[in-house]
Order: sequence, then C-alpha cells, then structure tokens
Amino acid sequence: MTNNATPAERLLAQADLLRQALPGDFRDTLVQTLYHEAESMAEKAVQQGGRKRWDWDSTVDRLLTSPIFGLPLMLAILSLIFWLTIAGANVPSAMLAEGFFWVEAQGVALFTSLGIPWWITGFLWDGVFRGLGWVISVMLPPMAIFFPLFTFLEDLGYLPRVAFNMDWLFKKAGAHGKQSLTMAMGFGCNAAGIIATRVIDSPRERLIAILTNNFVPCNGRFPTLIMLATVFVAASFPPALTSVIAAGSVVTVVVIGIIFTLVISGVLSRTVLRGEASAFSLELPPFRRPNLRQILYTSLIDRTIFVLWRAIQTAAPAGAAIWLLANIYVGDTSLAWHVANALQPLGNLVGLDGVILLAYIIAIPANEIVVPTMMMMYLGVGMMTDMPAYSEMHTMLVGQYGWTTLTAVNLMLFSLLHNPCATTIMTMWKETRSLKWTTLGALGPLVIAFAVTFLVAVVARAFGLG
Amino acid sequence: MDNVVLGVVIVGSIGAIWVVLPRIGALALWRRWRDDRERHLAEDALKFIHAREWRGGRPATLEGLAGALGLPSRRVVFLAKRLETRGLIRSAAGGFRLTIEGERLALSVIRAHRLWERFLVDEARMPLADVHAEAERREHDADAAKLDALETLLGHPTVDPHGDPIPTGRGELARVESRPLTDWPTGQPAQIVHLEDEPPALFAQIAAEGLRPGQIVRVVEATPERLTLSDGGKTFALAPVLAANIFVAEAPAAGETVSRRLTALRRGETALVGALDQGLQGFTRRRLLDLGLTPGARITAELPSMLGDPVAYRVRGTLIALRRDQAEQVLINEAEPASQGV
Repeated sequence: MTNNATPAERLLAQADLLRQALPGDFRDTLVQTLYHEAESMAEKAVQQGGRKRWDWDSTVDRLLTSPIFGLPLMLAILSLIFWLTIAGANVPSAMLAEGFFWVEAQGVALFTSLGIPWWITGFLWDGVFRGLGWVISVMLPPMAIFFPLFTFLEDLGYLPRVAFNMDWLFKKAGAHGKQSLTMAMGFGCNAAGIIATRVIDSPRERLIAILTNNFVPCNGRFPTLIMLATVFVAASFPPALTSVIAAGSVVTVVVIGIIFTLVISGVLSRTVLRGEASAFSLELPPFRRPNLRQILYTSLIDRTIFVLWRAIQTAAPAGAAIWLLANIYVGDTSLAWHVANALQPLGNLVGLDGVILLAYIIAIPANEIVVPTMMMMYLGVGMMTDMPAYSEMHTMLVGQYGWTTLTAVNLMLFSLLHNPCATTIMTMWKETRSLKWTTLGALGPLVIAFAVTFLVAVVARAFGLG
Repeated sequence: MDNVVLGVVIVGSIGAIWVVLPRIGALALWRRWRDDRERHLAEDALKFIHAREWRGGRPATLEGLAGALGLPSRRVVFLAKRLETRGLIRSAAGGFRLTIEGERLALSVIRAHRLWERFLVDEARMPLADVHAEAERREHDADAAKLDALETLLGHPTVDPHGDPIPTGRGELARVESRPLTDWPTGQPAQIVHLEDEPPALFAQIAAEGLRPGQIVRVVEATPERLTLSDGGKTFALAPVLAANIFVAEAPAAGETVSRRLTALRRGETALVGALDQGLQGFTRRRLLDLGLTPGARITAELPSMLGDPVAYRVRGTLIALRRDQAEQVLINEAEPASQGV
C-alpha cells in the first residue's frame, strides 16, 4: 500500500493480510469453541432426569418409520384428514351459501324498492356480492377444518417424520423431503403451501417446492374434480360402483399430480436450477403435547384468515367482471358468449370448449368459481349459478353442448395442471421476490396443461374416442 | 387477393422493423452474440497464454493456441492481431507473451472461473467432475463488484476445488509447491494439493476414484503398471497416467488417520465425531457444524428411515437426519458398543 491510501483502505489491506495468516479451518474452530463453551455452561446449570419419556418416543418413532407400518400409517392419517375436511365442510358450506343468498335477496329487494336502476343492483349484488359470497362459502369451511388438523400434526412432531420417510423419493427428484409437507399443505391451498416452503432452508429445494406446488389440487379445485368424476367418469359404470369409481378417479388425478410434481421437480433441478445453492438438513424434534390455543391461533389467524383475505381481494373484482361479461350485450349475444365463441377453436383443439377456457380465464382470481361460471354460461343466466342435479347436468352437457368423456377427462387434467390462481401467483412473488421465478411458476404449468390436454385429445381422437 | 398482399406487406414490414430495431432487434442481438463470442475467445486465449507462462518454459505458440481454442490457425492469427492492437499480448521469441494489462485481464477471468468452481462445489453441491464446464460458461461475466460479493459469500477461499490458488482481487496469484504423485517416495504420507482438471476424461476418472484435494495418502506400492495408494482405510489403484495428474506436497505434521465414516456406524452404536471431510465445504459444512457435529461430539446412529436413507443420528440430545452422502463426509473416531448414553 502506498502512503496516500486512506485509513479505510489501509485497514482493508491489513485485514487481507491477516486473513491470509488464518488457518483454513478457523471457522470450524470457532464453532467448536462456541459449542465447548455452551457445553460447559449447560453442565453446570442443567440436570438430566430419568429417561422414561424418551423410551416411549423412540418406540413411537420406530413404529412410524418402520418399513412395514410407516407408509400405511402415513396414508391412513392423511386420508383421515382429507375425509374429515371434505365430509365436515359440506354442511357449513351449504349453510354459508344459503345465508349469503338470503342476504343477497334482501339486498336486491331493498335496492329495487328504492328504485335504484337494475344494472346497479345487478352489478353490486349479483356480481360483486355473489362472487364474494361464493368464494367464502366454498373456501372457508374446508380451510377452517383442514388447517387446524394439519397444524395439530405439525405441533405433535409427526410431520418431520413424514418428511424423513418420504425423503428418498424426493431425493431422486433433486428435491427435499420436506416438500411432501408443503404438498400436503397445498391440498388445503396452494398459496398456503407456498408459504409453508419456508421450512425448507435450502434455496434450490425451496424454489423447486414453490414452482411445483401448483400440481397438487387445492380445495378450490376439488369440487370440480369430484363433480366431473361423479357425473362423467362414474356415470358409465353400474350404480353400485359409482362412488367407488368416483373416489378412484379423484385419487388417480391426485396421483397424476404427484407424478407431475416429482418429474417436473427432477427436470427443474437438472436444468434451470442447476447450480443454485443447496443443502439438506432435517431435525426430528421430540414428540410434544400439542398446545390447542396455539394451534387455533396459527391455523386460523396465520393461515385461514390470511388466505381468505387474499382470496376476497381477488374474488370481488372477479364477480364484477363475470356479471359485466354476462350482462353486456353486443348484438343479441352477451360479451361472455362472444369471447367463448372466439375461444372455441382453441378449446376444441385441446379437447375442451370455449366456455371452459373462458371460465378458467375469469377464474384466475379464484378457482372456486370455475364451475359456477360454466353453469351460468350453459344455463344462459346472468349470474353465477349452482349446479343442477347431476343427472340433469349430464343430459344438458352431453345433449346440448356436445361434451364427451374426453371433455371430462381433459377438464380434470386441465384443472389439475393449469396456471395457479392469482393469490398463489402473488404469494410466489412475495416469497421469491423474483420476476423470473414468478413468471416461470405462473406460465410453466399453463404450457404443460395445454400440452398434456392436446396430446390426450390427439391420442383419444386417433382411437376414435371423443 | 388484395387482403393477401396487404397481409404480406404488414408481416414483412413488421419483420423488417424488428431486424433493424436497436437493442432488441435481430441485428442488434446477432451483433451482441458475435461480440460476446469474440470476447469469450479473447479471454480464453489470454487464459491459455497465462497458463503457459505460469508453468514456465516455452511461450504459447500459434499452433498451441489454435489447438486449445479449437479454431483454424487463420482465425487465431486474426484474433492474435486484435489482442496485440489492444495491447494485451505481444509477440516474443517463438510465441506470445502477456502484457501487464493482458495479465491483469487473464487473472480476473481465472479468478472468476475458480470462484465459480468453489461456489458450484460448496454451495450448489455439484459433482466435482461437472463444475469445470459450468464455470467455463460463467467465468466470462466477470464484473469485479459481483466477483467480490461472490468471494465474500464463499468466505474468501484461497484455493479452488481442484486445489489451484484463486487470484486475489488485486491480481496476486500465490504459488503452491507440489510434485506429481509419480515423483513421490513410497511410504511417506503426502497431502493432495492439486488435481489437474484438463483433460476432462482423466479428471473424471480421478474424481470417480474419490480422491480430493486435502486428502492425506500414502503410496503403498509403485510399479510401472500401477500405483497403489492408501488413505488409511481405502486403497486406490491408479494407472501412472492418472497419478501424474495428481499433485502432492508434504503432509501437515498432525496428519491423524481418521478413516471410519459415519455411514459405517450401525444402529445403536455410538462414536465420537473426528472431523468433517476437507472436501465438504460451504453451506453444508456450516450447517453440519451448526447442528453440533463438531470434533469430539458423541453421535449415535438411532433411527433409519423407512427405506434406510436418510438415517437419524442423535447428537447433543437432538435427532438429526442425514442423507447418506452427507454421513459419508463425517469422519468418526472410535465406535463404542451400544449404550444408553447421550
């Protein structure tokens, strides 16, 4: 260093010199000293008692991770949670929907009696309010059941064991065992699943988990899958088998989603994410008695309300857009049908139709409104509408709109694979703060969905189906 | 008919505009691509000349340069002329030499290359055999500030994963004394300081054997056909052509021979952590240390997962799951019979 160097430069130069004199493993020594110090302190202050509880812990651990019981136990526990969620959510969902429709009817009546023009009433009550009510009543009950149950398992210490057991599978895909947890969370809501990827501390594996979470169908998409499985796939089997076939086809779709998750994870880790930082670590905490108040707080405030609020922010404008599209007429056709007709050739190409594509465009804010929007279009009414009875619907869709089994299968695939909803995309942005990864996470699945449905359509038509 | 003509005209003019558009037009993109390629070639040429000078001996020739860059000599002549006009190289007796400016540029590219190799091995955990090619791609975006940030992130490493010294930001390159393994006396412990990464085919074989810089080995037997090495546990049989690409130096005095690895620990067995493999650096090393796998810590193999990988080990009272390739990097001292201790 020359004499005219500033003090700061001289200091840096000195630091450089000193650094060269350090042994290469000084960081190791540092950590070792810290641990040594902590150990000697702990020795003085902490007394270890009996070991009974620990023995009980290892017995449970041995059972949960055993090659024979591990997998069946895991599947049983997760199935129980899904069953509780789906079965338990039906009644409150219906009650909420009824409540919202009642309020809506009162609102409409009030506005009409005040002489407010029909289009203001329609826009506010049949558009914005109905969109809101629909999303809340479909979304809230399952989340309010699923998230507390899931948080309970988390608090108990069971979830790290699942990650531990499933790690071999994810390792092959270049991912982290904890991705199994974020996927399970994704069944509740993909946005919540993406937030949950914070438990993965390795940057590359976390990105993989974020980008592929969408391939797990969230509970906004489950109603679509269940409806299609019941009305179309199961309808071609004898009535005795209906529910078994319907359940089986939903499970098949879920399995396809898991396969896609693993394959895409593997592709990502070997291509665009090659050379991103990575490390594996997984702690197995001791089993604990869950703290109920904490569970309710984390699951309801942190997860349910958080996700619901984001959905509400996007559902209200979506409701408005749907109402406008359905009620503005150009010529003697509504705007919605103009768009649907324009999309028809593209829809036909991938074995769907224009109405379905339109419903998916409108439903970017929230997937819950796909089926109500489709029903609105098919039934020719001006607002989102509940499904008619299954048999009626089957007749209408097949007879009037030319649906086939191919349409139903491709719609299920499209629902599974298509782009994530706006809430999820916003969450991806918040978690990665990267335009590149958010774009990939939003458009990648869309491309995959079109490619897969197109291939299925081509193959099916080549065999004379559809 | 008119419509068709109109369509062709519209599409044609949009295409023409795109071709000449500044920055994002086809012409601009092509020009940028060509300039980048030209720059990469120039940097590779400087690197090659530097390597020759570093090793001492005859300077780089036109033919040598053509071979290294995989270009016809006609283009190399053109390239050399451009480098000379830019004042980066000068012709000397029997070949090319770097000017001071040329050496500075060459060292900054080498620094980028070696820092990226460190990153790819330490942080991205890429196999050692793959990092050279990836670093070749990344070395050309050598922006000094970005490299300084990378160096800080990596904790100011002094050597790359092959054992080559990394030039400092001020362009100083340390010399590491070493000899090829073929010249090393039998029986005397030696530390591997450098693995030659060119040609890749030979390097891949060395890497596949599991030899890493920092490892302490002994030549057990040397015959004209093969060299037999031992690291205290495993033995390696190498063809002399491979051994000549492994450079060694005097082993440090306290070269304790810890040879058992954590993977060898059976369920219920306890051992003391000896050290973490020197080949394991960066993120994963820091993580393992933070989790308490410091030398002297007691570690018990407690719980294999459903299919046996990962395995959960008890260290300092907590259960920590390690994948097989991580446990492989933890050296242990003595296994004790199964006990209830923590």
